[in-house]
Amino acid sequence: MKLTLYHLYPDLLDFYGDRGNLLTFKARCRWRDIDLQIHPVSLGENIDFTQGDILFMGGGSDREQNFLIQDLSSRAQELKQAVEDGLVVLAIGGGYQLLGKYYQTVDGHKVPGLEIIDYYTVAGSKRMIGNVIAKVANPAHSKTDLNTLVGFENHAGKTYLGSGLSPLAEIVRGYGNNGEDGLEGVRYKNVWGTYLQGPLLPKNPHLADNILRAALKRRDYNSDLRMLDDSLEIRAHKAIVKRFS
Amino acid sequence: MGMRIRFWLALWSGKLISIALRILGKKGTTFPGLVANKVCPDFIKFLGTSFQGEIVLITGTNGKTTTNNMLASILKTADKTVAFNREGANMLPGIAGALLQNTSFGGRVKKSYLLLEVDEATVPRLCRQLTPGWAVVTNFFPDQLDRFGELDTTIKLVQEALPPSTKLILNADDPLVAQIGLNRTQAFYYGAASLPVSGSKNPESREGRYCLPCGHELFYEIFHYGQLGIYRCEQCGFKRPQPHIEAREVRQKQNGISFRLSIRPEYREGDSYGSQTVTQETGKYLIPLQGYYNLYNALAAVSAAECLGLSREDCKQGLLKFVSDAGRMEQFALPSCQLTLTLVKNPTGFNQVVSTLIELGRPMHLLLAINDLAADGRDISWLWDVDFERLVSDGLKLKTVICSGLRAEDMALRLKYADWSEDLISINKNLKEAVAELEAKQILPNEVVFVLPTYTALFPLREILNSKKVSSSPIISHTEVEGL
Repeated sequence: MKLTLYHLYPDLLDFYGDRGNLLTFKARCRWRDIDLQIHPVSLGENIDFTQGDILFMGGGSDREQNFLIQDLSSRAQELKQAVEDGLVVLAIGGGYQLLGKYYQTVDGHKVPGLEIIDYYTVAGSKRMIGNVIAKVANPAHSKTDLNTLVGFENHAGKTYLGSGLSPLAEIVRGYGNNGEDGLEGVRYKNVWGTYLQGPLLPKNPHLADNILRAALKRRDYNSDLRMLDDSLEIRAHKAIVKRFS
Repeated sequence: MGMRIRFWLALWSGKLISIALRILGKKGTTFPGLVANKVCPDFIKFLGTSFQGEIVLITGTNGKTTTNNMLASILKTADKTVAFNREGANMLPGIAGALLQNTSFGGRVKKSYLLLEVDEATVPRLCRQLTPGWAVVTNFFPDQLDRFGELDTTIKLVQEALPPSTKLILNADDPLVAQIGLNRTQAFYYGAASLPVSGSKNPESREGRYCLPCGHELFYEIFHYGQLGIYRCEQCGFKRPQPHIEAREVRQKQNGISFRLSIRPEYREGDSYGSQTVTQETGKYLIPLQGYYNLYNALAAVSAAECLGLSREDCKQGLLKFVSDAGRMEQFALPSCQLTLTLVKNPTGFNQVVSTLIELGRPMHLLLAINDLAADGRDISWLWDVDFERLVSDGLKLKTVICSGLRAEDMALRLKYADWSEDLISINKNLKEAVAELEAKQILPNEVVFVLPTYTALFPLREILNSKKVSSSPIISHTEVEGL
């Protein structure tokens, strides 16, 4: 079995520990004899989204996001089509914001997003920083008994989901999308969007496996993932839940 | 109440509090400083303006403390009197406290040099109160991101705060630092021509690979480590400035790092820093420390000493006499083993430690203590940007790995995904127990033992290790040096 992961603009959107997510995908595939090819996509590089299985978009600083909005907007249509066709996407922080309709800056200027999913972001006056615990809206059907996501957030943008959209999870501790409605991230088709930045997947192995399952299923591979010994992952996850909730 | 009166009140209450603390057997300069600042918000300004000597500010992400202490060691060798703030006390109260300690009840600062290690975010607030004659900027690496927002913001903050009349001493090899010198008339640069680890490729750091002035990707002729190297921007022409002091023939020795310096002499006459003239070669220097980041700290200290007009011989001797600070490659002789304690606080620093371990090439026992308190940075994402993979792929023998601290599980998980054998890794969140577990291991004479804590785990660990140590760590002797 072979999967291809497009890592979008690793030079620009590779912020503080995003690498942990790639290492997790890679290791969890390797341990199950799935051949995961990670393909870094650079600015201006022409890629065919229909050929990929997983698209990974990480965070990034404001300076860097300005560079890539132009580059991405030329491909917005292709990407939208791919998402509608079930492309698996993990979008974090800045990458998450980009998939929405727009980002409204402090002075009221609306920077257009890719308009792939119905949500928008407004720059807030204070940064939302800290550990996050969130209850998963539709619990993972893995054999771990984890029903939470744990991570760390650091963002000023407040994201509001359009009506009818499902969040990824509901906040137990932390701010999530906007610090107001108790929602965290978005789940749309095969897209996972979230503010849990940096190494989200290592401590959330159930989420990593759900994403891999979606990718395998789309290729009509057997998506019954072999169970792994996740005792260390679960221990680290539970340590956060215990300490911060 | 008049500002003058407030100042005297602040001075005397601060001084009395520090005396009271000393009588109670407590150390610490921060609390008296905090009180003095509260009583008189312009306290630092008052003392700063009446101070007749030289003020040197040292800021940047890594190396502030070591550079500060190296420079102090050089100045002391030259028989100068020096006041400086203690490690970690690098925000306004700590700085005020250090000033207090060195000021008489009559309001006179008793020393002729004032060295201030200043937290990046504190630079603007400090520079509103006093104008340093010199400012050293060591480097900018991602560190404690959650406190500053983003690295760009930090750089801008520092850059805009440094007064125009302050003469800058800048790391030429770090593009994020070197660009501060653009549009400045007075900048002195230091750098390294090449390190034993330099190469044409560097996958380690992403930060700074883009030209800060124009946003274009930088071209690197040579990478040293992190974003440090010899670089240029093909879009706007920004490039590594020609250093006034450049390290050559850098070698890692058993007892430290040796190097030679090329010095461009013209800066001592007037301020025409830019012109190219013949460089002078100096003799060999040695610093009794491992890790190439310490070479940069030495270069920063030597640059400051040069700018202050000290003799080269004092520089050399001052560096030699330098004794490593708390938790900077500090040696402990325990009954069971000899171990090295060194602080880790961001990917670049930790990667340097990894490189040192690889260069040592010995079987190793490690104790990693990761905390996530405010002073450590709450976000421990950075552990995923450290190249732990290299230790395994270089075939080094890991014999013990103990993960401790508040984030022991996160550390262990990181190592699992770096392909370190899970059987090797143990988790013990309690620092004391973790040290006991380490001591219980069988450690052979050819094996190395490293204890690697984040900031808030460092001091408790030091205390534990000090209580167990058999004798004080050996300080390098002059005979060893002559044998270079």
